[in-house]
Amino acid sequence: MNCQLCQENLEAYQEGRLSSGMTTQVESHLKTCDSCKKLSEIQILVSRVMSVEKETDADPFLATRVMAQIERLDAERKENTPLGARILRPSLITLSLAAAVLFGIMLGNLSRPAGNYGKVPLELALINDASLESVDILSLE
Amino acid sequence: MNENELIKLILQGERDKFRIFVEKYQQLVFRTCIGFVHNKEDADDLTQEVFIQAYQSLPDFKMKSAFSTWLYRIAVNASLNKVRKSAGTSFIQRLESFFIAENKKNSLLTATDTDDPENIIIKKEHSQWLQKALDSLPENQRTAIVLSKYDDLSQKEIAEVMNTTEGAVEALLQRAKKNLREKLSPGREKNNK
Repeated sequence: MNCQLCQENLEAYQEGRLSSGMTTQVESHLKTCDSCKKLSEIQILVSRVMSVEKETDADPFLATRVMAQIERLDAERKENTPLGARILRPSLITLSLAAAVLFGIMLGNLSRPAGNYGKVPLELALINDASLESVDILSLE
Repeated sequence: MNENELIKLILQGERDKFRIFVEKYQQLVFRTCIGFVHNKEDADDLTQEVFIQAYQSLPDFKMKSAFSTWLYRIAVNASLNKVRKSAGTSFIQRLESFFIAENKKNSLLTATDTDDPENIIIKKEHSQWLQKALDSLPENQRTAIVLSKYDDLSQKEIAEVMNTTEGAVEALLQRAKKNLREKLSPGREKNNK
């Protein structure tokens, strides 16, 4: 077994995941190779450091601290919103919506074809009702 | 009551129910943070920050993944941000701590009982030395190693947190372990016996 193969299998060897054949080969190599032996010892140390860090407990008062900070943040948020903004903003939103609806109606009216009311056909425009004879005269015949 | 129902209640104003999540997941978040910062005080502060961020971002949680997966993501991002800020320490301070860690590497072994690894005493400088090695890894490799070694997540779970594939996670872990071996190896000589 060469150093590269040994080092690639060191972690599995230390965790007991190698087959018995491979385990024997790694152990034989470690007996004869100082470099790999030192690396093995360093890796064991690394595992121990990680285990100790993993086993460290979080602050037992963490939940209390978190909830206290959340309460503070929520209180600050309410305080920082001025009265004017609390009333003004909803009012502005309502007015904007109303203006948008009105604008939409106006746009809709503009796109409608213009009706004939108020626009007199040319032939009728030439007739002056004031000078027309009364129809009653025709019925007297 | 499941977690999604609890979240709905919190969003409706029952703020106190968020404490249930804090108590349930505080150790999980703490372990992730300490994997990046290697210091209890910093990890405690970071854990608190993670839960505050989670509470403020709760309206954005779409419930498409597990709450724990989402929390892991916030913890990893907060930890990486913290590490990036710490990297802005002065050049001389970093140089000093680098040489101290390097000098202690060999003395750590000769000073301890290497015949019985179970008796190795873990000192503060061990953590700093490990931190140096882990800090030298690219962020995605470091994240994969922390989630694997500190949180004991499977490759599938790591892939969900990192929003990638299992194959990519496996490759990241292989590269991270190889890089760590190279960083930690004491004047490695390539003897192919």
